[in-house]
Amino acid sequence: MEKLTSLFIFFSLLSLLFLSLSPSCVLANSHFEGFEPELDDVEDDDLSLPLTDLPLRPPPLTQSDPEPAGISSPDRDSDTPDPVSEPSDPQSTPSVSDSPKPSPTSFNYWDEDEFEGLPIEQPQEPVQQSSKSAEDSASTNPNSDSKPTSPIPKLANAPKSYTVEIVCGSFLVIFVINYFTGKRENENIALSWAAKFATKDSIFEKNFSLLGVGEGEDSPLLLKEGQNVFKFYASGRRYCQGLLATMELKSRHDLISRLYNMVVPCKDEISFEVYMNDDAMDHIIFAVARKKAAKGMQKDLKDLQRFAGILTPPSGRKWVPEELSVISESKEVAADLITEAVLDQVFGEKSFEKFGKYFISMHFSDQHSGMHKKMLLFKFALPDANNMADISRLVALVPYYIDTIGRYKLSSQARSKTETARSKAAQEAYRELQNARQEALQKRKAEKKKLMEEAEAKLSAEALRRKEAKDRAKQMKKAMPKIKMSRTR
Amino acid sequence: MSTQANDPRQPSAAKPFVAPAVNPQDLPVDYSGFIAVVFGIAGVMFRYKLSSWLAIIFCAQSLANMRNVENDLKQISMAMMFAIMGLVTNYLGPARPGTKS
Repeated sequence: MEKLTSLFIFFSLLSLLFLSLSPSCVLANSHFEGFEPELDDVEDDDLSLPLTDLPLRPPPLTQSDPEPAGISSPDRDSDTPDPVSEPSDPQSTPSVSDSPKPSPTSFNYWDEDEFEGLPIEQPQEPVQQSSKSAEDSASTNPNSDSKPTSPIPKLANAPKSYTVEIVCGSFLVIFVINYFTGKRENENIALSWAAKFATKDSIFEKNFSLLGVGEGEDSPLLLKEGQNVFKFYASGRRYCQGLLATMELKSRHDLISRLYNMVVPCKDEISFEVYMNDDAMDHIIFAVARKKAAKGMQKDLKDLQRFAGILTPPSGRKWVPEELSVISESKEVAADLITEAVLDQVFGEKSFEKFGKYFISMHFSDQHSGMHKKMLLFKFALPDANNMADISRLVALVPYYIDTIGRYKLSSQARSKTETARSKAAQEAYRELQNARQEALQKRKAEKKKLMEEAEAKLSAEALRRKEAKDRAKQMKKAMPKIKMSRTR
Repeated sequence: MSTQANDPRQPSAAKPFVAPAVNPQDLPVDYSGFIAVVFGIAGVMFRYKLSSWLAIIFCAQSLANMRNVENDLKQISMAMMFAIMGLVTNYLGPARPGTKS
């Protein structure tokens, strides 16, 4: 009940206040044409807060207090900015404490604020202008802080805006500088790789008759794609059609991804794709990678998923180190491909300690999806430009495996197994293809049917319309005489 | 490994390099360009300086990562336009409508 009554009182007061305030609002609006939206806010605040004070206004003392101050301050402000603005401000704050009048202090305070805020806004701008011209702004600004309206954000904005520009501008400058330095870094790495492995008397020069991406003798060795991808092409070797090495380096040229890479580190990688001749590769599906990566590969890559599984290391034989796992179609293939020489050179205990950190994965398959089905994939990490020799043994794996696989023939037993698996897969693929084709056909048929139906519907709709028109005409005809009849009556 | 008796090279089998045709849809998505466009539009719409500046920064990133000139330049130029437009309206436009009202 109490609440209700208080609410009632509140509303009655509100209505009273609204009535009494409305002229003042109009006045205020007429004074400040440009300030409409903001003033609305101010008024709203005033509406809700000083509700109670209007009835209390009659005491002439309280009214006289703020008004002279409000009026006097602009006047004097225009004359002499600082001495008056100081008095006017202290006046605004002390006024709360200054009012020891019978009426409650809070009401007085709101009352004053309301009336002070409005007239003082006018003087404030002159003050600001004058402060711009005169150097007394320091004294006036802190005072003006107590006032609620526009000048404050304006003043606060001025220094802030520059920080944004300075930060962004300097970031851009650093970005540009980093672009050029990072670009050169990446180029250095790629060039040092090419110098190590693709120049005269190097491993690729000895194995391939054509090096480089262009035609002719002086063709460029590397093809640059973007700022961090370099491609190297070689061709003219037995057992294979060509080799494409793709170096994917860190985005050193890009400051943002460089910062990102500080959090999430990544490596420079080089991947070799060797396109084998169709007659030079038997049914081989074989992959080596680190344990975690091998699991992922087995799940994600279609050929490995379909034909191969992760092998358990055989006992009684030298095998790849524990960090690696081998995925293969059969044990026989894996055993034949991981030869003594490979174990000795790369995957042995000692050598893997040295070179293992640069090894990422190998993946040989005759069932790759895409244009080239028979492909050998090698993935290594790149050392920095000065230590390129660290991966020379790994790179030597590439021609070695081309030869090994080119010569390799499956035993008849294994061969029959793989052949059945492949024919099964081929059949499934064929069936799927046919299904897809049939589905497409059916879809097309359904679409055609739909079109026909739509056309028919349109036709029938037109026919209906015509019929309706006819009916209407008939009815009109019928109705006509009636009208006549009524007229004649 | 390097002990190969005969020369493995076969000059007759050499095939020159053919750059594989890449579908424009297969290209990696240019996130920075997209972000730049978003920031640029936001900067113009809300007259927010920082947003326009960020748009310019992401434009620069997109420009730095550009691979295919014809494909990417469209988006980048659009983002650039928005960003610059935002900055121009911010600094040279009608004197701060935000404070006027």
